[in-house]
Amino acid sequence: MSTLQESPPSPAPTGKKWIRVTQVVDGHDVEEWMLIDDVEGIAWPARESMRLLNKDIRRVDAPEKVSGRAVYAHDVRLPGMLYGRLLLCPHPKASVSLDLAPALEVEGVEAAIEMDLGGNPTGYLGQPVAAVAATTPEAAEDGIRAIRAVYEESDWVVTFEQAIAEGAPQVSSRGNIVRPGEDGDLGQARSALAECDAVVEATYTLPVQHHVCLETHGIVVDYRGGDEALIYASTQGTFIPGREAAQHLGIAPSKVSTTVQYMGGGFGSKFGIGPEGQAACLLAVELGRPIHLLLTRSDEFLMAGNRSGSHQELVGGATSDGRFVSLIQRISKLGGIGGGSHPSGRPYIYKPEKHHVSNQSVMTHTDGSRAMRAPGHPQASFAIESLVDELAYAIEMDPLEFRIRNLDDPFYERQLDRAAREIGWYEHRHRTKPGPIDRDKATGIGFAVATWGGGGRPACQVEVRIDPDGSVVTSVGSQDLGTGTRTYVAAITAEEFGLEVADVTPRIGSTDYGEANASGGSTTTSSLAPAVKDAARNARLKFLARLAGNWGVEPETLAIETGGVVVDRSSDRRVSWREACAELGSTALVANGEWQRDLAGNGIHGAQAARVEVDTLTGELRLVKMVGVHDCGLPLNRRALRSQINGGMIESLSYALFEERVIDPYLGVQLTADFDNYKVAMTGDLPEIEAIIDDGDDRNQVIGIAEGAIIPGQSAIANAIFNACGVRLRSLPFSPAKILEGLEALRS
Amino acid sequence: MTVSRRTFLKGAGGLAAAGTAATAAQAQDGTQRFTGKTKIELSVNGKSVPVEVEPRTTLLNALRNHTEPPLTGTKIVCDRGTCGACTVLVDGEPLYSCMMLAVEAVGREVRTVEGLSEGGELSPLQEAFCEHDATMCGFCTPGFLMSLTACLERNPKASREDIVSAVDGNLCRCGTQPQVVQAALAARAGGAK
Repeated sequence: MSTLQESPPSPAPTGKKWIRVTQVVDGHDVEEWMLIDDVEGIAWPARESMRLLNKDIRRVDAPEKVSGRAVYAHDVRLPGMLYGRLLLCPHPKASVSLDLAPALEVEGVEAAIEMDLGGNPTGYLGQPVAAVAATTPEAAEDGIRAIRAVYEESDWVVTFEQAIAEGAPQVSSRGNIVRPGEDGDLGQARSALAECDAVVEATYTLPVQHHVCLETHGIVVDYRGGDEALIYASTQGTFIPGREAAQHLGIAPSKVSTTVQYMGGGFGSKFGIGPEGQAACLLAVELGRPIHLLLTRSDEFLMAGNRSGSHQELVGGATSDGRFVSLIQRISKLGGIGGGSHPSGRPYIYKPEKHHVSNQSVMTHTDGSRAMRAPGHPQASFAIESLVDELAYAIEMDPLEFRIRNLDDPFYERQLDRAAREIGWYEHRHRTKPGPIDRDKATGIGFAVATWGGGGRPACQVEVRIDPDGSVVTSVGSQDLGTGTRTYVAAITAEEFGLEVADVTPRIGSTDYGEANASGGSTTTSSLAPAVKDAARNARLKFLARLAGNWGVEPETLAIETGGVVVDRSSDRRVSWREACAELGSTALVANGEWQRDLAGNGIHGAQAARVEVDTLTGELRLVKMVGVHDCGLPLNRRALRSQINGGMIESLSYALFEERVIDPYLGVQLTADFDNYKVAMTGDLPEIEAIIDDGDDRNQVIGIAEGAIIPGQSAIANAIFNACGVRLRSLPFSPAKILEGLEALRS
Repeated sequence: MTVSRRTFLKGAGGLAAAGTAATAAQAQDGTQRFTGKTKIELSVNGKSVPVEVEPRTTLLNALRNHTEPPLTGTKIVCDRGTCGACTVLVDGEPLYSCMMLAVEAVGREVRTVEGLSEGGELSPLQEAFCEHDATMCGFCTPGFLMSLTACLERNPKASREDIVSAVDGNLCRCGTQPQVVQAALAARAGGAK
């Protein structure tokens, strides 16, 4: 979430007003002001009157997924289709010369192409330099191996230390340290430290994390010459691949359709078609045959984006009565050839009385970072929540109390209190100092909070169609990432007509339906749900007006009751849904809807707590329990919402405990390009997890939840480790080796 | 170098199945060599499925790329035996199908996710997955289902520990594991209690 001017750019003219809306650019959300008509909009019904929404709803597409019938891009099989594969440069930077001829001699290989580097050396470890298409994936692999590639390595940098060293090889023409930005007053922040009772100075670092989408990146492009094409994409934005592919296919964007019925995870990394999509298009043009190009797992680790690493130097000061007085923070974002992510501007969530925050991107010859679920926030959270915790213990204050004193939003007090009760904080023995380490096991509890925008914008065009046979279809181009889009599209429509979820057919994930935004920054639900509600409401009003006309009564006397029964209050006439729909004659009734600002809110919070057990002899860490308390305005599907909260917590505990991209700093080789070396949390690693929806949030507006749940977990775990045994871990992941080292330091 | 990488010496890859040996013998009578594409019959979900594969073709790729209609319910995620997404049952045992050659599966009974709901009716475990929201993006789901099907067939009263252990080789990134465990507990004999 980037900062936005606190007030609108100009006074609103009469009859208009300014509202804040969210726009997503490359998965990062940006807030902007929008001028709209100042009239009362439509509203969601009161929560207690809802029949389907704000309840547990069974996912409508679960049967397709559990039966293996759901077809993902990986699963598309077309007549004449060939399998594509990429050759990646094994060096961080190199000039490349290729002989493709041997690849073409391999049985089954139909084409080999060189990626266009514009005559330049490669720019990052793993950059694709060539591609082949073959009749089987095995033959494509043979083809790639047969290419004679000669690499002339140039000097490169792959680590933070290498990049900032004097005389380091330059990654960009602007140097290795770019985009400096700052906020606050350094002089004031420094002098404020003088009046503090406790000052903590520390450096916090986070490694690069991978998205680990189970379905790797890629597309299937069905192009057989001519001027039309169909793309099967694994993407978070249905309307993006076609537009991009059109350029490489050399045909009009309007002639390229895209379908995204199921996709196997994105987490912020899947928007554009990338080099793999470009290669697929170029091979399709070359051969006039459909190309299936989905990355291998090792290629995915090398070139499909990541969550940027982070190096943050902090100095913070507090007074003994619990005032967070001053913060000086220097942030380096480590995003490879990308810029990296960190919320810009003021300190993250907490508001020290004085501050100075500066940030810069430090570039290396490695794959560019991309948006990853709450881009920049987990990194920001880890540094500030660790520092806040360190300050609290330094003044011997309960870290929960110190947090509440320095968070002015009342949501946090309520959520922290709930998390504290669920995790057992108030009964915990050592709340202002770490526990003893003279026993085999040390138990500790830690906390952290989250913030995100999650607001929507006018982006989706939804159509609701009622057929004379009684069937109802709601269509919109939006994709479902596994978040439950398809289900709430059906449920909102069904709620409006008194029907059951199964009575409505949701059609999504296609450029054949109404325009929709990409799923980034938790903006899908807040952009789409209002438009679905609007379309359903318009369809209901239009339908009742039609019936009133047929029956010669006033539309206001008609209503739809549970079961879809249409009631005419003026005559006590009751007509079943099917009979009412039959009144439409031979044509379906169609209504459209768009975003309605009063149906969507903005701004979410969240508090998480972790309970850990540290083995003081081995340094082994056991997560015992995690609690997450999150708000998102009006919940649509509580079951899917809890799954999202669970999911965020699991991804963040995996980040905390295991995940780290490792590149050999001398050889420039990525050592973690498979699941043997890049460990992700499995079922046996999970603690008891409690996902709690904060019903104290009574905003009757929908807001996205996905990002909020992934932000604070690793911070809460770090703080729990300190509370358990006094070891303060300032770098992820929290390996037993690091804990053991910390215990040794405490003992000596 | 004149040796083709497709040349596969019998025995060198640890091939032991009788069915495979027979196929090899028929294909290359007397030479003990097994080269190039070979027609074999797999038994998948109780049906005989003819496929034409190379000796190096994995069972996973044979299912996904060489059957008609394609059996793509079994997912390819790591292709290196580390994520469990391609789990199938071979003679009732859960195996990563990316770690078995198709020719090794000859003469053995292979079950895939498509075989769990034949006739269109979901198994109690699949039904429980739907009820407990154990699917999100759904890409890992078939692998989890196969691991748990084997677990519950082996022991219909499996404990929570048995269930966690059964799926500890299945990777999920959306974070459905808690719901998966709940679903399996509900689907075992006697339900969740």
